[in-house]
Amino acid sequence: MINRILDHLEEWLILSFMALATLVTFVSVVMRYTLGTGFTWATELTIYLFIWMAKFGAAYGVRTGIHIGVDVLVNYSGPGLKKFLINAAMWLGIVFTGMIAFFGARWVIFIHGTGQTSPDLEWPMWIIYLAIPFGSGLMCYRFIQALMLYHRSGQIHSHIKVDETGWREDEEVLK
Amino acid sequence: MTAAIILTILVLLLLTGTPISIALGMTVMAFMLGFSSFDMTTVNIISQRLFTGLESFSIMAVPFFVLAGTFLTDGGVAKRIIHFATCLVGWMPGGLAMSAVLACAFFATISGSSPATVMAIGSIMLPAMVEAGYPKRFGVGVIATSGSLGILIPPSIVMIIYAVATSESAGKLFVAGIVPGALLAALLMLVTFVYAKKKNFPRSPRAGFREIVHAFLDAFWGLLLVVIVMGGIYGGFFTPTEAGAVSAVWAFICAVFLYRNLTWREVPKVLLHAANTSAMLLYIITNAILFSFLLTSEQIPQSLSNWVLAQHLQPWMFLVVVNITLLAAGQFMEPSSIVLILAPLFLPIAKTMGIDPIHLGVIMTINMEIGMLHPPVGLNLFVASHLAKMGLTEVSIATAPWLVVMLAYLVLITYVPDVSLWLVRLLYATPVAPLVGGAGLD
Repeated sequence: MINRILDHLEEWLILSFMALATLVTFVSVVMRYTLGTGFTWATELTIYLFIWMAKFGAAYGVRTGIHIGVDVLVNYSGPGLKKFLINAAMWLGIVFTGMIAFFGARWVIFIHGTGQTSPDLEWPMWIIYLAIPFGSGLMCYRFIQALMLYHRSGQIHSHIKVDETGWREDEEVLK
Repeated sequence: MTAAIILTILVLLLLTGTPISIALGMTVMAFMLGFSSFDMTTVNIISQRLFTGLESFSIMAVPFFVLAGTFLTDGGVAKRIIHFATCLVGWMPGGLAMSAVLACAFFATISGSSPATVMAIGSIMLPAMVEAGYPKRFGVGVIATSGSLGILIPPSIVMIIYAVATSESAGKLFVAGIVPGALLAALLMLVTFVYAKKKNFPRSPRAGFREIVHAFLDAFWGLLLVVIVMGGIYGGFFTPTEAGAVSAVWAFICAVFLYRNLTWREVPKVLLHAANTSAMLLYIITNAILFSFLLTSEQIPQSLSNWVLAQHLQPWMFLVVVNITLLAAGQFMEPSSIVLILAPLFLPIAKTMGIDPIHLGVIMTINMEIGMLHPPVGLNLFVASHLAKMGLTEVSIATAPWLVVMLAYLVLITYVPDVSLWLVRLLYATPVAPLVGGAGLD
């Protein structure tokens, strides 16, 4: 139940960030040519929206299996080695994203102490930097879920037929 | 020595099959933990880089063009472009195949990705060609190869990433892609023509002038994006990133209002898919930035550059090395990772040898096109094999003859820099004043 809410929240967050960033930049360009001035903060807001989209989208990507790896050795190895490699790959994901979430959290606390604000919007930077611990933490959780799924059923999220454009092949679960 | 350690860690991590982005980031962590003084300053720099690495407006052209491409692929634009292309060249020998190449070239002028081009054009043209009696293998080869025009003809996501990795101008790179793109399209059509004539492939009926005009008007709204993107960037109306946002909105308007191929209810799904892919690319970019930070702080680009220069290589020999390295890397990794890792290593050397950074960008792009055409990570092949319901091996065999054409073309582009550069020189010789106070050239 909680997982399903989390899934939906994640999806809605990233698609709203995507749509908002596009609208902000577009409207700002249009305003520049109609009213003479765009929003001074449009660039900054677009960047922040996309960074938030990227951090949470990376977590969503674990679920859809879109993060491409080099699978040459995995494909050509026997069952024993294959199992070891898949486990290692997932543990690497867990450890790395966990470390980043931890470092990110330390960084947020540090920035909170400095009281830094963003140049144009003048928003507190620590709130903006929260994207790192939250996004990476969620990503870590997604890797743990993927590892558990693999141990339970031997399945791996895979998105082989996907590419850098958003070519869609809905999430496929391959053996 | 340091370089060897870093490379070993990276290769070992990559071989587990873990995502390339994770392997890059983890290499940085492992090296810092194990072989370098790991203090809190380093940790703080890493944490900061994770965020500030992405804090650049030019990187954001990537998600915008991905979104535009997603709307274009689903929005009925491809269908109209194909109809227009068929009206123009369908009557020639191998008419449908010729139309497919031309349609890919047209679609590439509004889309920045190769697999998207294969998907958009192939999903319609492959079944049509098979139905008309073309051998399936031939059809697959034509589509997978011409689809690779997507990243050579501007806009191009790979070129944007090269611009990000090397701080070169994306606008100049786009301009540099125009002539090589058009030339490659012509070359692919020529090969198709000769082959089709020999095999006596069917022709489509010749379209009347009125029909051509009609087809053009029908495709007009989609093709208008060429004017918006290239005209907008070159005319100084907006930066490449803003051009991306404008084309995403325009592609959305085409798909939902003008061509009505998408309903409002499908829009969130398109957004989500675009977000998924963009986030993957941005995640690779973040970690590649971390990785290049490690390389720079260990002064690897400089020592590599010094070492290469000490070998007294001629520029042409260096370019052979560049091409071989890129082709080899293309065996294992997808384009954006390769460009992000290797471009910063090659560029300083190229510069001291007097090779134009923009020319190097075009060379890398064509190498990436070739990488997309052969297994194990050829994205065009995955898409084509899915569309044709053919195995990956069979699709690879079908594409093999076309690889020869592409390799020959790579040699031409590598050793005749003027093909890429003369238009850049022509357009950028006299600085063009922005027409309306705005973004300026980028």
